[in-house]
Amino acid sequence: MGRELTYAGAILEATSQAMSKSDQVVIMGQLVDYSSGVFGTTTGLVNQYGVERVRDFPVAENLMTQTALGMALNGFRPLIVHQRLDFMIYSLDAIANWLALWRFKSNGKTNLPVVIRAIVGKGWGQGPQHSKSLHSWFAHLPGLRVAIPATAYDAKGILLESLLGESPTIIIEGRSLFSMKEEVPEEMYRVRFGKAAIRKAGKDITLVALGMMVPIALRVAAELEKVGVEVEVIDLRTISPWDETAVLNSVQKTGRLVVADPAWKSFGVAGEIVTTIAERFRGEWKSRPRRITHPDSHTPMSMSLEKEYYPNELKLVEELQEMMKA
Amino acid sequence: MINNEWLSHQTIQSRGDYKEVRAEMVAPEIGFSLWRQMTRLRTVEQALHEEYHPADEMRCPIHFCIGQESIPAALSLLVQASDYLFSHHRSHGYFFAKGSPLKELFAEIYGKETGANGGKAGSQDISHHETRFYSGAILSGAVAIAAGVATGLKIRKSKEISIAGFGEGATDEGAFWETLNYAGKEQLPLLLVCENNRYATYSDQLKRQFNDNISERVKPFGIRSIKVFGNDSPLVYRTIEEGIKSIREGAGPLLVEAYTYRWNSHVGPEDDGKNEYRTSEEMNFWKRNCPIRLLENALKNANQWNQSDIDKAKKIIDQEIAECFRFAKESAFPAGVCWKELNEEDKTPLADQWLAEEQACTFDQNQSDAKLGPY
Repeated sequence: MGRELTYAGAILEATSQAMSKSDQVVIMGQLVDYSSGVFGTTTGLVNQYGVERVRDFPVAENLMTQTALGMALNGFRPLIVHQRLDFMIYSLDAIANWLALWRFKSNGKTNLPVVIRAIVGKGWGQGPQHSKSLHSWFAHLPGLRVAIPATAYDAKGILLESLLGESPTIIIEGRSLFSMKEEVPEEMYRVRFGKAAIRKAGKDITLVALGMMVPIALRVAAELEKVGVEVEVIDLRTISPWDETAVLNSVQKTGRLVVADPAWKSFGVAGEIVTTIAERFRGEWKSRPRRITHPDSHTPMSMSLEKEYYPNELKLVEELQEMMKA
Repeated sequence: MINNEWLSHQTIQSRGDYKEVRAEMVAPEIGFSLWRQMTRLRTVEQALHEEYHPADEMRCPIHFCIGQESIPAALSLLVQASDYLFSHHRSHGYFFAKGSPLKELFAEIYGKETGANGGKAGSQDISHHETRFYSGAILSGAVAIAAGVATGLKIRKSKEISIAGFGEGATDEGAFWETLNYAGKEQLPLLLVCENNRYATYSDQLKRQFNDNISERVKPFGIRSIKVFGNDSPLVYRTIEEGIKSIREGAGPLLVEAYTYRWNSHVGPEDDGKNEYRTSEEMNFWKRNCPIRLLENALKNANQWNQSDIDKAKKIIDQEIAECFRFAKESAFPAGVCWKELNEEDKTPLADQWLAEEQACTFDQNQSDAKLGPY
């Protein structure tokens, strides 16, 4: 057994290693230089790298993103942190009108390695303005890379790949994953975009899971194994680009596809995955594809409603068992 | 310098024609260069304007800058190659100011492969990375990005500066005020040039703002500021010259508000007068007080007008423009684009060099037993 880190600890280590390796890497965000360090993901960086490279930014998300863009144009590799993704919506102009299309507009000449970390809250009354996961919005835009790491190992590898890559990248982080531990190598390594991880092999159902849904999917798979159903759990890890081949290969084996996406159903990533596979799959469906998502509703605060709102393991087990009957 | 407390779009006309241009404010060769650069830009814009619809070969929105030549001309003599310049959608003057190649501007507008951006951007989104010039149509975006470049320059302790050109319309935007807050606090090496031409498309500044004194309102943010009559090119030159010098010396951000006027419609060559947003009296005032004509009179008064030099310069300008048209028209259209490659970079040289490959399945299966945190 190697060394273990939490998801938050893995992010901190990746950031620190990238900053130490390249003085082009700077971090910007509200409160990044305090000891609480955005849930422990930036703690201590300011002592090591100073206030010029660890920048507590005014509460101006649009300007912060445009500033990062300008710094990238000037040779830096800025990392932006949003404590909650919801605040980031102020920066949609910077993202959709400038950052995502800069390479295109430059006729493919100029790249902007700007990385944006956006944390998504879940539970304990986060409510409608602290819990939105808008990864499908960002994945819709050409010119952006979008990742949604579920494990500490991936959180580190994807962040390093992004900080030392050349593309504007948005990394969606589920707050509820931050305390989960995993064996994480000390060396600097990469997790490539567009390469899914098969978390558990199985021949009966392909369960594609994203972000916060990955641990739930694995528990569901373990539960169904007890009744003889072998679920293949695919953690997509990145959604722009996403690993179509891994999902297609799995569906060719299972003939059953279910996508668990921690976001709204309509016009979302789950729909995109099902459509793409439906277009490419040449075999026979043993059961119609399904989406497991949040309801098309804003997030409630009350803990009784949170239980109804977020998909739980029981619901998933029922859904998957039904697919086996069909 | 000059007492200009009175200066605003509300008062300019009531004072009568502007009589304060002094060629002596700048060296004779600068005076001549200002005239040449303004005339060059005016001639370019007029040529494009005339050719725009008859041939219908320039199929993109163009926001002409005729009447607003003084600021770009002054900048063209003052910016260094290594400085960064950001512009709004009325971009031709700033493209010109940064010394970016004019024939690539023409080819870009014609949608050709040889254009500054290979026909992907057009007039209102054009950029030229090699000469550090960038523009964009969404108001104030370029102002905010210029602050980002200035942040980088400050960290590097560079002598280069970052310049943003924009109109008073951009100062309606939140991003503009966010930029002031940050640039003032950080004392960034940033020159903000506000070409106040009074109208955002058709909308008068006083329909959108309580006052039309941007230069006053930026001061509490820690931004130095000065306002000038924007068609007085020697005054504009001296103001920007001193401003740039002070920024390079570390004096922090400066905003220059230059009151000027656009002769053409907001966009394209058609007359947008049917919207009745400005009077012919106002238009005639500004045409009488044209920056080129004001300078010409001042140069003549100072005995600095040499007709043979002027004729020679005009001839070179005409030749240059003919060559630009020829280049644009003869160039090929882009075709067979790889959309993915155009939008996404798949090379990662640094990551290739520094990062180890992912190891085969290190995932801890006990992960499935881990409990989600409280939030």
